[in-house]
Amino acid sequence: MSAPLSQASRRAFMQRAAQLSLAGLASPWALHLLAMSEAAAQSANDYKALVCVFLYGGNDHINSLPPFDAATHAEYLRVRTSMATARDALAATALVPREPLPGGRQLALAPELAPLKSLFDSQQLGVLLNVGTLMRPTTKAQYNAASVPLPPKLFSHNDQQSVWQSSLPEGSISGWGGRLGDLFMASNERASFTCVNVSGNAVYMSGRQAVQYQVSSNGSVPLQGVRQALFGSSVAQNAMLKLVTAPHSHLMRAEYTRVMSRAIEANDTLSAAMAAAPVLNTTFDTSSSLAMQLRMVARLISVRQALGVKRQVFFVSLGGFDLHDFLVAQHPGLLAQLASALRSFHDATTEMGVSQQVTAFTASDFGRTFSSNGDGSDHGWGSHHFVLGGAVAGGRFHGRNPELALNGPDDVGQGRLLPTTAVDQLAATLARWMGVSDSDLPLVAPNIGEYSQRDLGLFRV
Amino acid sequence: MSPSPAEPQLSACAPWGAAALLAACGGGGSGSQLGSDSAKDGSALLAVALTDEDASRLLAQAAFGATDPHIDRVKALGARAWLDEQFAIPRTEGHYSTMLSQGLAVEANLNGFNGFENTVWRKLIASPDVLRQRMVLALSEIFVVSMQGLPVPWRGFVMAAYVDLLETHAFGNYRQLLEAVTLSPAMGVYLNMRGNRKANAAIGRVPDENYAREVLQLFSVGLVELNLDGSARLDGRGQPQETYSQETITGLARVFTGWDHDRFVRTDPGHAQRPMVVNSANHESAEKRFLGTTVPANTPAAEGLAMALDAIAQHPNVAPFIGRQLIQRLVCSHPSAAYVSRVAAVFNNNGQGVRGDLQAVLRSVLLDPEARSAPADGQNSRGMLREPVVRFVQWARTFGVTSPTGLWNVGNLSDPATRLGQSPFRAPSVFNFFRPGYVPPNSALGEQGITAPEFQITNESTVVGWANFAQSFVASGVAELRPNYSAELALASDAPALVRRVALLLAANALSQDTLALITQAVNSISAATAAGRNNRVYAAVHLVLCAPEYLIQI
Repeated sequence: MSAPLSQASRRAFMQRAAQLSLAGLASPWALHLLAMSEAAAQSANDYKALVCVFLYGGNDHINSLPPFDAATHAEYLRVRTSMATARDALAATALVPREPLPGGRQLALAPELAPLKSLFDSQQLGVLLNVGTLMRPTTKAQYNAASVPLPPKLFSHNDQQSVWQSSLPEGSISGWGGRLGDLFMASNERASFTCVNVSGNAVYMSGRQAVQYQVSSNGSVPLQGVRQALFGSSVAQNAMLKLVTAPHSHLMRAEYTRVMSRAIEANDTLSAAMAAAPVLNTTFDTSSSLAMQLRMVARLISVRQALGVKRQVFFVSLGGFDLHDFLVAQHPGLLAQLASALRSFHDATTEMGVSQQVTAFTASDFGRTFSSNGDGSDHGWGSHHFVLGGAVAGGRFHGRNPELALNGPDDVGQGRLLPTTAVDQLAATLARWMGVSDSDLPLVAPNIGEYSQRDLGLFRV
Repeated sequence: MSPSPAEPQLSACAPWGAAALLAACGGGGSGSQLGSDSAKDGSALLAVALTDEDASRLLAQAAFGATDPHIDRVKALGARAWLDEQFAIPRTEGHYSTMLSQGLAVEANLNGFNGFENTVWRKLIASPDVLRQRMVLALSEIFVVSMQGLPVPWRGFVMAAYVDLLETHAFGNYRQLLEAVTLSPAMGVYLNMRGNRKANAAIGRVPDENYAREVLQLFSVGLVELNLDGSARLDGRGQPQETYSQETITGLARVFTGWDHDRFVRTDPGHAQRPMVVNSANHESAEKRFLGTTVPANTPAAEGLAMALDAIAQHPNVAPFIGRQLIQRLVCSHPSAAYVSRVAAVFNNNGQGVRGDLQAVLRSVLLDPEARSAPADGQNSRGMLREPVVRFVQWARTFGVTSPTGLWNVGNLSDPATRLGQSPFRAPSVFNFFRPGYVPPNSALGEQGITAPEFQITNESTVVGWANFAQSFVASGVAELRPNYSAELALASDAPALVRRVALLLAANALSQDTLALITQAVNSISAATAAGRNNRVYAAVHLVLCAPEYLIQI
């Protein structure tokens, strides 16, 4: 619903303009472009985009980043047996970070993630270790004693997806991507393109005001019935437009109509902008859904000026990670798809000259158990994730490397990791990079006040 | 095989007269008349009092929409007797058997779904047992197995046998349905119970917890303790109470160890039809505790499984948890607490002391005053967004779509931008296409906390995708499937009558006068002088109704 949205941002603008005694000057939009960026809650003269790559099902972080030092790898092999990747198969992708991990520990990328190795080496890719949902910093003793609040409905897919994305279980109606959008909508000439989802609806992308705009991997879809005579009749064509956009008092009918109106309006703007989009030479794997989604994100970024956007949040996804069985058969293919798509996307941002202004990060329902059930792993908690972009303090491990040991200090059962870094901290760090002020961080990451470290140092200073 | 509009002249279809009749007998009256007590009396008055639009509304909920013969039948029998007739309709040939007789059990199909979707569309669109087919689709969205995530030999036959199983139990008992689902090769593979082995402490291997977790979260009790009306039962501090813990899952996962295909052979899909059997060597023999039940050590696997399924099926959450979802699949997205209570009470006891009688539950869902009462002004969150698959099947059934080749090559309709954004048995995960608790964000629905599951797959791509796809299939059919608009073409030169007919069949007369006038005007703008023009009039009428929010939201 871009109309009410832009009304909201116009209202916000007018309020701020009035406060600054600018109301009498020029046209609102000219003002908006020339003067308001300073007045906006979060000023945004430049462009920045955040891309959430959600791995649905709970990625097995252990096989994604297996241990490489001999001692830990031996334990990995002992516990995971046939599900473990042999050490010699990891030699080519063993990571050499700028600062080594304590205790001689080493991690490798899964062999299928090899396309990301050079990005780590060239310090464009960082790894965030053992991040997960938390309400506040939590020790194993506190977990066992249930003496502090824990995230609701741990180990449940849909709820942990929701907690990761929004800090609340299923039924939540705003996520931190959307809440970032709330703060930047006023900076964007066309607010409806603030939160753009190239996957399916996700609570991550809904703000308190910001509405996610969904676009397919092939772009926005024009409504045929209103573009030309419908069944030979221009009267029918006009009736179609009126029929699908007329207001309704029934809430569901009104909501459906709202989505349709937004679709028609946004398509008009977007298809015009895309028609003039620069050619993108970077190749993407056309057989990969994730690569096609990320290519669309890249193409949308390429028309940022035509869309008049300064800050954007994107959401893409890849499913199939809930590998209770077939881990060895299926996980490598998923990782290969992830690596190829991320690699192409990063190359595309480099081609467009915006790699410093675009940060992509992975997320997932949860990590998985270290223990094996023979053919796969089970729902876990903390996990490792990637942060990618020209502004990232890459070539490093961020956060604390957990012990890889059953019944070890970080294990809350079957090798489920108690997170040592909270999603709120990740959200706050990304929000600060986008330009959110310290005082506004709780608007994005509601539990950030529980943590002394509000910035994980994921970006170059 | 497929119902088709029998007569170009709709003798029973007198919408304006029907509206007057509704005003006379409708309102609060029709609901209470259809309540279980009076309906048990078999009131003849009730049967004759049903209007065309009453019948069309029932058929939208209990079938896949209205046809002339179905409207006549509902009016002749009344709602309750029509349901009884539906319960008694014999099943047509099963999916597995159909695929077998089509010669699909050949090596080339070992790792594919060849023929499966064809037989699914065949039955959804053309099988005469419409209520059973509607219930199968509903159950397929609660007890989800998806073609996406079934890496098993003979997967097409495994899916076919699973749909047959849902048919078998659609009008049966929940406890038997739960057991059949649990032991089905399809679910066994999809949620990994097949091949699940007991723990091996030496290497830290533990049983797979997937089925244990999802059978509780999705197929029976859900995450929090519920009252009979579906609301969360709060503790003394006003907090919801979780129904199970990680320890419950760990205990239950041990029950689900040792099960595997019954006589799997590579050359024959026969195992797909047989319940899984236990291999005792892989079954955990230690004691298991869950949900207040203890399975003593060394209990035989099958006995332990029966104890577990009994414990699950007896849980007080099941009635409101499953009952509310069935209401959502058939009648409305956000039922009142009282409606859920009434259905849950029938789930708990069908009146003869039987728990989980799905026929009784269906009667309760479909004959409830909240389902049967005519829409009233000001009920601005009543009803549901029709899910895309149901819309498509409704169009196909209403207009007598046939497959001249008998192949029903509808295929995969999952593409959100060009098809439905949904296709039967292709949910992205066991969490279905949408969740029963989904609340659309940034909306008046969200502000009021109104659950509206189908909105989870409603976005800028799918709303336009539906309209564009409908524009195409209304005029040209899909693949080799073609509609039969003979009854509508007979009305083509009378635009108001044509639009009224389509509005009755598709939308149970829920279109406002303004909307009817708008569509009629559009139809009238097309010349009826030529055959092509008359076709276009019908296409315009059908397509515009299919795109109307007053149709899309079924009330």
